[in-house]
Amino acid sequence: MSSNSSTSQVYDPVAPCLTLPRQSRQTLNSLAGKTIGFIDNSKPNFNLLVEDLSRELIEKHGVKAVVKQRKRSASQGLSESLMNELVSQTDAVITGSGD
Amino acid sequence: MVSQSFIGLGKAQQKALGSPDLPIAVIPHPFGTRSREELREIAAKAAGDIARLLCEAAPASAKVAAAAPTVPRAKLVEAPSDLAELNKFYMQRRWGDGLIIAPPTREAVERMLRHTNRKPDDVVATIAPGMGAATVEYIAIQGVMAGCYPEYLPVLIAAAEAVGTQRFHLQAIQSTTNPSAVWLLVNGPIAKWLEVNSGAGCLGPGTWANATLGRALRLILLNIGGALPGDIDKATQGQPSKYTFCCAENEEANPWEPLHVERGFARDANTVTAIGALGTWSMNMTAKGPEEVLAMIADTMQYPASSDYMYGGAPFIILSPQHAQLFHRAGWSKAEVKRRLWEQSKIRAGRSKGSEFERMATGRRAELGDITPDSMVPISVQPDDISIIVAGGAGSHSVFVPVSAHTRSVTKEVVLTESGVRE
Repeated sequence: MSSNSSTSQVYDPVAPCLTLPRQSRQTLNSLAGKTIGFIDNSKPNFNLLVEDLSRELIEKHGVKAVVKQRKRSASQGLSESLMNELVSQTDAVITGSGD
Repeated sequence: MVSQSFIGLGKAQQKALGSPDLPIAVIPHPFGTRSREELREIAAKAAGDIARLLCEAAPASAKVAAAAPTVPRAKLVEAPSDLAELNKFYMQRRWGDGLIIAPPTREAVERMLRHTNRKPDDVVATIAPGMGAATVEYIAIQGVMAGCYPEYLPVLIAAAEAVGTQRFHLQAIQSTTNPSAVWLLVNGPIAKWLEVNSGAGCLGPGTWANATLGRALRLILLNIGGALPGDIDKATQGQPSKYTFCCAENEEANPWEPLHVERGFARDANTVTAIGALGTWSMNMTAKGPEEVLAMIADTMQYPASSDYMYGGAPFIILSPQHAQLFHRAGWSKAEVKRRLWEQSKIRAGRSKGSEFERMATGRRAELGDITPDSMVPISVQPDDISIIVAGGAGSHSVFVPVSAHTRSVTKEVVLTESGVRE
């Protein structure tokens, strides 16, 4: 194939994300005495992983309590009311993505 | 917390959700098949990572914006004029679908923009999972690249609107390991004006409108939605329909009301319906009795690894004109066909095994109560959640189209300029 070094103008087709970046992270001083929330994404084994993580965080990192909410399925978000309930009960919330 | 293979998706979600400082803990992939002992080891390691991440300051690289960004116009770039070199240039930047593209020049895009009254920077939708701004201009660029004729633009705008709705739940379609494609169905007179095939081979090759409209929607999902295969689009295999998937309903051969009329649009309205489709299953049925054909469709709908049964779905049936006529001659309305299919396609829950049975029991509990292996589970919450259209030409083949979990098809009206369709 012959090479042609001339150029022309074409559009970059990748559209930008307009979501406003915001500070969402609130750093904790330590986990001692804190309550941690888990959103169980209902994928196989995730409930068991959450169970083990809860025990580890309580026994080795001083976490006071763990609150869990299980989603109906991985591809659906937790309902807003349950999310608000979880946030009101906890100092940090953890969820998961993957298989 | 993400499993190793999903790091790219996790980072993309940080940006798309506007939380660039959200900490991510990584665990081995896959974890779903690990033994109990392996999970304990993973948890011991992950707990330390989680404790560290929750207590450390956000990285300086996590930028926080002071003001909302303005909607930008698309940027022109210098690229090789030679078509083969231009295509290499695009693929090196992952700006395509792997097929040859037509150059989106200023002139070609402007020609397409003449077919809408909307401004180029109007945001039609935000496209998950990257939450890219689907402006009219960016939609037109994808249309040009896919080879669409300029007059197709209003269809693409309506398609972007449809996939951008909350009901369609594009997030689940774009980032899942399922082979979810988006099927674009055209109804109304515009199907004939644009020569969208609704007859023989309507889901196959050979028609410009079907091929390029479906492809343009895929480019919208890739370039605006950011669903880069392997990194963000986590489909284990995907499916060929992710290149293009578009047809019209064969309204002339439909003995009942077409889909858009069933959904409240006037018969002469022009609409597109976006459907999150997992595949097309051919059902070859030469039986003469309507009960026999219906029983075979109901049997085909049942498969234990189906997300329709897992969560209560919204599948589609594409009836051939022959089968639609068979049911119509039996005196069955479309609603009656749906009701019979819903009843006869109930599956014994125990056909789903192990964790899949557990997922079904969790997924349908709110609707059906406690599920045992002997429970009979319907494919959808109600018969009307099954959609039936008529498409195709002569032959004894109808098609079952299972849908992706939690997506619901969405129909939007195509808005034309006063001058009509043609240039």
